[in-house]
Amino acid sequence: MNIRIPIPHRMIFPTVLLSALIIIPFAAPLITGADPTEMAIPQRFAGPSAEHWLGQDEFGRDRLARILHGGQVSLTVAFAATSLAAFVGTIFGLIGAYFRGPFEFFTTRLADVVVCFPPILLALLVVTLFGPGAGTLIAVLSVLYFPAFARIAFAEALRVSALDFVEASRAIGTTSTRIVLRTVLPNIAGPLSVQYSLTAAAAITIESGLSFLGLGVVPPAPSWGQMIRGARAFMNQDPLGIFLPCLALTLTIYIINIFCDRLRDTLDPKGADNGKDTVSAPLKGKETTIPTLPDSTVAKISGLHLKLNKKGNDVDLIDDITLTLRANECTALVGESGSGKSLTSLALMGLLPDQIKQTTGQLLLRRKRGDVVDLGRLTATELEDLRGNDVAMIFQEPMTSLNPVHKVGVQMVEAIEAHRTTTKDAARARAIELLKLVGINEAERRFDGYPHQLSGGMRQRVMIAMALCCEPKLLIADEPTTALDVTIQAEVIELLQRLRHEYADGLGLLFISHNLGIVSEIADRVAVMYSGQVVEEGPVSAILHTPRHPYTRALLESMPASHDALHSTRGDRLQAISGTPPLPHLRPSGCAFRDRCPIAVPECAAARPALLAIAEDHDVRCFLAGKGAV
Amino acid sequence: MLTFLLRRSLAAIAMLLVVGTIIFSLLMIVPGDPAELLLTTGGGSTTQEAVDALRKQMGLDKPILVQYVGFLSDTVRFDFGRSIIDGAEIAEAIGLRLPRTLELIIAAAIIALSIGIPAGTTAALRVGGMFDRLTSALMALLTSVPVFVVGTLLIYLFAQVLRVMPAGGYVALQDDPVAHFRALILPALSVSLGLLAIVFRMTRASVLEMRSHDWVRTATAKGLRRKLVIRRHILRNALGPVITVVGLQLGILLGSTVLVEFVYNWPGLSGLLVTAVEQRDYPTVRAVILTVAAIFILINLVIDILYSVLDPRIRL
Repeated sequence: MNIRIPIPHRMIFPTVLLSALIIIPFAAPLITGADPTEMAIPQRFAGPSAEHWLGQDEFGRDRLARILHGGQVSLTVAFAATSLAAFVGTIFGLIGAYFRGPFEFFTTRLADVVVCFPPILLALLVVTLFGPGAGTLIAVLSVLYFPAFARIAFAEALRVSALDFVEASRAIGTTSTRIVLRTVLPNIAGPLSVQYSLTAAAAITIESGLSFLGLGVVPPAPSWGQMIRGARAFMNQDPLGIFLPCLALTLTIYIINIFCDRLRDTLDPKGADNGKDTVSAPLKGKETTIPTLPDSTVAKISGLHLKLNKKGNDVDLIDDITLTLRANECTALVGESGSGKSLTSLALMGLLPDQIKQTTGQLLLRRKRGDVVDLGRLTATELEDLRGNDVAMIFQEPMTSLNPVHKVGVQMVEAIEAHRTTTKDAARARAIELLKLVGINEAERRFDGYPHQLSGGMRQRVMIAMALCCEPKLLIADEPTTALDVTIQAEVIELLQRLRHEYADGLGLLFISHNLGIVSEIADRVAVMYSGQVVEEGPVSAILHTPRHPYTRALLESMPASHDALHSTRGDRLQAISGTPPLPHLRPSGCAFRDRCPIAVPECAAARPALLAIAEDHDVRCFLAGKGAV
Repeated sequence: MLTFLLRRSLAAIAMLLVVGTIIFSLLMIVPGDPAELLLTTGGGSTTQEAVDALRKQMGLDKPILVQYVGFLSDTVRFDFGRSIIDGAEIAEAIGLRLPRTLELIIAAAIIALSIGIPAGTTAALRVGGMFDRLTSALMALLTSVPVFVVGTLLIYLFAQVLRVMPAGGYVALQDDPVAHFRALILPALSVSLGLLAIVFRMTRASVLEMRSHDWVRTATAKGLRRKLVIRRHILRNALGPVITVVGLQLGILLGSTVLVEFVYNWPGLSGLLVTAVEQRDYPTVRAVILTVAAIFILINLVIDILYSVLDPRIRL
């Protein structure tokens, strides 16, 4: 049978190095015929010669031979101990995972106890009892390291045995031994081999350390640690005697470590490929005119394009968005996940991820002091000044949006102090006032509490209070209720409505949601997004009652009309939209929705429809909308 | 908080008991007569009288349970008995040498933390950049150099070639403070390098993980200055895992001091230990190792408590 194990490309080099490392010392007789223990006192410290390539040591012994034979000893001790530890440990781990109960406790706790002993000290304790020597070393090292193998084998075996295909083979009646040998063992081989190389490197370190102390390998057998010990006294007249074994030892451990690192990266690639962090540069080019906005407008996005640069390929994520946000008005941005809603809102915060670039378009924002700025052209410091001050944001995940290690109050005060010069007491008073405003009981006590002491709904209220700290004129709420229970959802929406009407005069609210029920409650205007574009925009009543774009209609049909309808026992089912939204780089030519559109005509593939007004204050991006066909 | 402290302290005491029991029973599971073994290992020969005398001195002639209880009660009172070589009080020798070893460890930890944390943070914030790649490669190399190799090479460079540092030895602080710290620098540096590599790697990984959390985005959205976001919302959260790993690695650090003290002729606990091992002075070896294990467990208890201060969720 011819079995070929594929070696990943990046493993080839370390594997070759490691093999060379292991083979060369054992090929010593082929390299030099010198005896590593033969002394020649008259030639002590002789330099390299034809006969002795690396010279001779303090007793006139051949250095090359000693290095090579020393390597044999170190490698034998390390690999014998590691193999023994791996074998015993794996069996322990598998037994623990199979029988559980007391075996489980034993396997996992054993490693805890062993970790308490500095390994070299435990080795010394045993050497005291049994005397030094290679045999003692192998025994000690394998005892030291087998619990680590047991723990890994145990954890991995548990993980693997819960996998579907193992469950399946158990269900068809495969015997346990067979499952362990054929299924579990190959699957836990990865983590175990990482541990194997780690342990081998550690074993060499300890062996050489003990030999260096004179408590490891017994002379005259050569070992690297012992050679360093011997050469120390003659450091001054013979530095080579120190350097060579140091180099051999370090190189050996280094090569094993490199092998181990590569192996780990190959087995678990998620940690290896971290995107490069670049600071996004502001848009280039001089501004031709000073941007202006009508008084009633808080922010205006026009012709926005966002591109993702992934491995040299540009992918259009946001494809020409134009949106106006007005004071005292709530605009809802709706659409399926991946349609670009969140990205648009992050652009308004100047919070785009580094890999995403704005290529064209304007993001105009009216600041509280009255001037209008284009977000794409601001520097990082100017953006810091603006965020949380003129525009604030409430995120989707209240559970993770607050830092768990800081008190709630401290995180609010921080937001106030970032933009205002106030005293500690004033900031505290302001934060507590806001906590009360968003309906948090015992605000003083909560101020000094930690986020984990609050429920999800409470945390979202804190997030809202935090967003209002500096009285922004634009508030972005990115699916603020998605992560909450239905009853809590209603409370949070109610709170937002109340704050909008009673507290924050002139506030523009951008509300992002895929829940049309909530949108109909809170929004004044609706913009429907599909695949990086706004496909329909208008007053909430027009969009919800007389939708003109086929996608908006499909979206409305997929929504239950009421709670009763959701639970109706009648035969009519909710209309789901067929197909899935296209990935940004796979958008069809022409209209992005045409693949899923029930009324598409050949014309839709030819060109991309523009966003056109089909009625007063109602825009649609569809060729057929204006012709009355929809 | 009080129950947390109590629970952790109890766990530490239980751990000490387990470690003590293992060290005690090690002598019991040795095949043959331990006293004879200690006197004959290494090929030496001995007389029956010498074996009997040692058995009596180590209390090996009493029933095991009596020995065990005696061992525990002596240990609790820090009475480790006398050396079987020169009859010196072991507790006294440990009391004299322990502070010197602790000084070395603390100095090494300070060096490792004060370089490793800033370097790891900088590397993580510019991951894939020049600094990150250079320092990561350097740290990978550092983890591969055994501590006694570092020590020996540092002596060669600074004491032999440059002649700016003493090659080893110890000067008491009260005798000459300047000489004391000069003698401390190279040993502390040698011990710290391995730990430095670990602190660096851990900080880098932890900061990388923390910086993608939602609360970092929230902090940025509040308009906090970048420096504050890094300090309060990334680094502060990243420190917990770092100190936990440092605590676990202290075992290796304590092991490193054995070799470094030998290299630099630093009269700490390890000198006592190595001599005792060479002379088969089992009671001394046992006492030193028990002390070191106790220090290790104690430091980890302190770190557990420190962690709970850093992360309030732990106190639950």
